[in-house]
Amino acid sequence: MNSMAALWASIAIGGIAQILLKRGVSGRIYFSRLPSFAWWAGLLRSGWLWAWGISFVIATGLWLVALSRIEISYAFPLLSSSYVLVAVLSKWLLNESVSASRWLAMVVICAGVILIAVA
Amino acid sequence: MLETKVPSKPRAGLRVGLAEVALLGSIVFAASGHLLIKEGLNVAASATMHEGIWLRLLAYLGQPSVFLGLCVYGIGTLAWIFAVSKREISYLFPLTALNYVVVALGGRLLFDESIPLKRWAGILVVVCGVVLMNRSSEGGTE
Repeated sequence: MNSMAALWASIAIGGIAQILLKRGVSGRIYFSRLPSFAWWAGLLRSGWLWAWGISFVIATGLWLVALSRIEISYAFPLLSSSYVLVAVLSKWLLNESVSASRWLAMVVICAGVILIAVA
Repeated sequence: MLETKVPSKPRAGLRVGLAEVALLGSIVFAASGHLLIKEGLNVAASATMHEGIWLRLLAYLGQPSVFLGLCVYGIGTLAWIFAVSKREISYLFPLTALNYVVVALGGRLLFDESIPLKRWAGILVVVCGVVLMNRSSEGGTE
């Protein structure tokens, strides 16, 4: 597999995994400050949580494949592009309100990650 | 969604609830888990260089620091799930960039690694973005 394709697939699947996780936990309300043991056990029966776990494993595998060929300093800043993917998907699929100030904060964080990577 | 929406009003300071504490915990635990796993793998890899893949995997998992590292990483994952149950994902996910800050500062404190000036600048920019992101947080539960 082309290592750049593996890298982008890893980033995309890793972002989608976060959406699956949020979808999986958001239907499960708890009324105390901390969730009960039953809440945690219930997650094991959620298809969304399993989908999250499987995507997480696939994304990690693809990431390792990509890193065996690509410099880590090149791959790491690209990882921050998944913040944008998650924001777009969460607005579209989960009806999250992504305000202008949140977009701005995201751009600033991405810029900082790029600076750290090239230093 | 049945989550109680906190009315959006300008906040003076940072919002540090249980979710934010859990997020920080998940970052620190994941980073420490990685370090422990890496250390154990270095030991096991040199000891089982000429063995087959399954025997090597077994040897890796038998390394105390690999096992401990996986447990620590697991606790970090539980903390992340908890945080995700309390806040929007478009808010939480970019905050995981603090991982780079924790790793850089950890390397400096624990292994005396030097941080070049450009990386300090990057760390500062990430922290500014994290503060901005925190101020954009709305809703969720405390």
